[in-house]
Amino acid sequence: MVVDQEKCIGCGICTVYCPADAIRLVTVDGKRKAEIDQDACLECGTCIRSRVVKCPRGAIYELPKEERSMGRQMRRFFSDPSTAHPRTGVPGRGTEEVKTNDVTGRVCRGELGLCLEMGRPALGTSVREIEKATMHLARCGIVLEDCNPLTDLIEDITTGKFREEYLDERFVSAIIEFRIPFERGEEILNVIRDIAAEIDTVFSLDMITCYDEDGTLPGLELCRSLGISVRDNCKVNLGVGRPYKIERQD
Amino acid sequence: MSHSLHRRGTAESLSHDYILLVTAAAGINAAGSKDKLRRVLDVVWEVGPVNTGSNEVGTILSGVSIEEIKAGFTEIPRVRCVFDSADKMREVIRRLLEMDLGISVTVSGPRLEIEKICAEFGIKPHSVNLSLDIWGKKNELPEEEILEFITMCGHGMISRSLVVDCIEKVKAGRLTPEQAAVRMGSPCVCGFYNPTRAIPMLQKYVPAEKH
Repeated sequence: MVVDQEKCIGCGICTVYCPADAIRLVTVDGKRKAEIDQDACLECGTCIRSRVVKCPRGAIYELPKEERSMGRQMRRFFSDPSTAHPRTGVPGRGTEEVKTNDVTGRVCRGELGLCLEMGRPALGTSVREIEKATMHLARCGIVLEDCNPLTDLIEDITTGKFREEYLDERFVSAIIEFRIPFERGEEILNVIRDIAAEIDTVFSLDMITCYDEDGTLPGLELCRSLGISVRDNCKVNLGVGRPYKIERQD
Repeated sequence: MSHSLHRRGTAESLSHDYILLVTAAAGINAAGSKDKLRRVLDVVWEVGPVNTGSNEVGTILSGVSIEEIKAGFTEIPRVRCVFDSADKMREVIRRLLEMDLGISVTVSGPRLEIEKICAEFGIKPHSVNLSLDIWGKKNELPEEEILEFITMCGHGMISRSLVVDCIEKVKAGRLTPEQAAVRMGSPCVCGFYNPTRAIPMLQKYVPAEKH
């Protein structure tokens, strides 16, 4: 995003809204003006939403697509929730995970779905930090979710290596998603502990697990046995979608 | 993405925080589902959500109408609404079961309470997305009191600076908790932010002479 210096009156109303703290007030020719640090700006679009920031002069704008680098366009896909990446077709930074799991069968009984939401909350992430995690996981033979905007940035899915030109790009957050057989849960959660010790940001960790016929949650029991904290609030798929799928057939 | 997951706060505070997600699945049951989802929004709106919106047009908190939200549905439509009590969520589920649309319904909130509601209606839930907390360089995170507000927008659109600014203005008597709760929630474009829950979280910053 860019500030039109002719229009800006230096009121500063925009500065506190930026999740990346990229907007600063500077003095130009004796006048106060807002300025956006392009390295810090994650292209989330918050500052140009007229219902949010309410800039009195409409001074913040986005450069036309042809003037934005591919890196800046990628920042937008991983930062602006109103943007749908062509690979997923839906707004957001990953799949519909558990939200449609009763009909997609993305994660069935006997499996675990894991998501590392890199940079969430509050800190954001560079692609370089994401790569540390994907390379760890690739060494364990983990196959990452294909229907995820990250797929287009990866150079080699077998090593988890990203394309060089994207390594220094930064996003509000990005989701590393994959599914494993339940039997590999303990091993992979231990790998995730190693990733957590190595990265220079944070991630929020999700685990998708299906209810067994008797109503128990195998994933929950696994976390308890490994001493992993599970928060009381979660997201439950009620299982009312059709066609219903909970067992892997293929 | 799991933007309604990982909300932080006390058990008491989170007991006023339920999010409904009705989602058509791309390539499976999304075709022709727009009108179904519009009916869903009409029905759940009657129960009284405290916020709703869509990535495409914005939220009721920032002045968007329900009609604008419905008109903005895409070919893969979704309904998202926040409720401030288990009783409201129970009523929403009752109405959705009556509609029997075959579209996926997911509820974010305290797990045991959601499972209890499912049992009351004889529903066997399919699966759950559990929050296994935050990992990595946690020492760089904002204080827990700030995170409780920030994590109400899973897309990360509510900035630390805005939360701090709102709190400072409440402390200075320049904003009421109600005004601060609305201002703070405006960047959350999908409508997951819960203003009703935010108000008591801001009350403690009101200067003593205002009480």
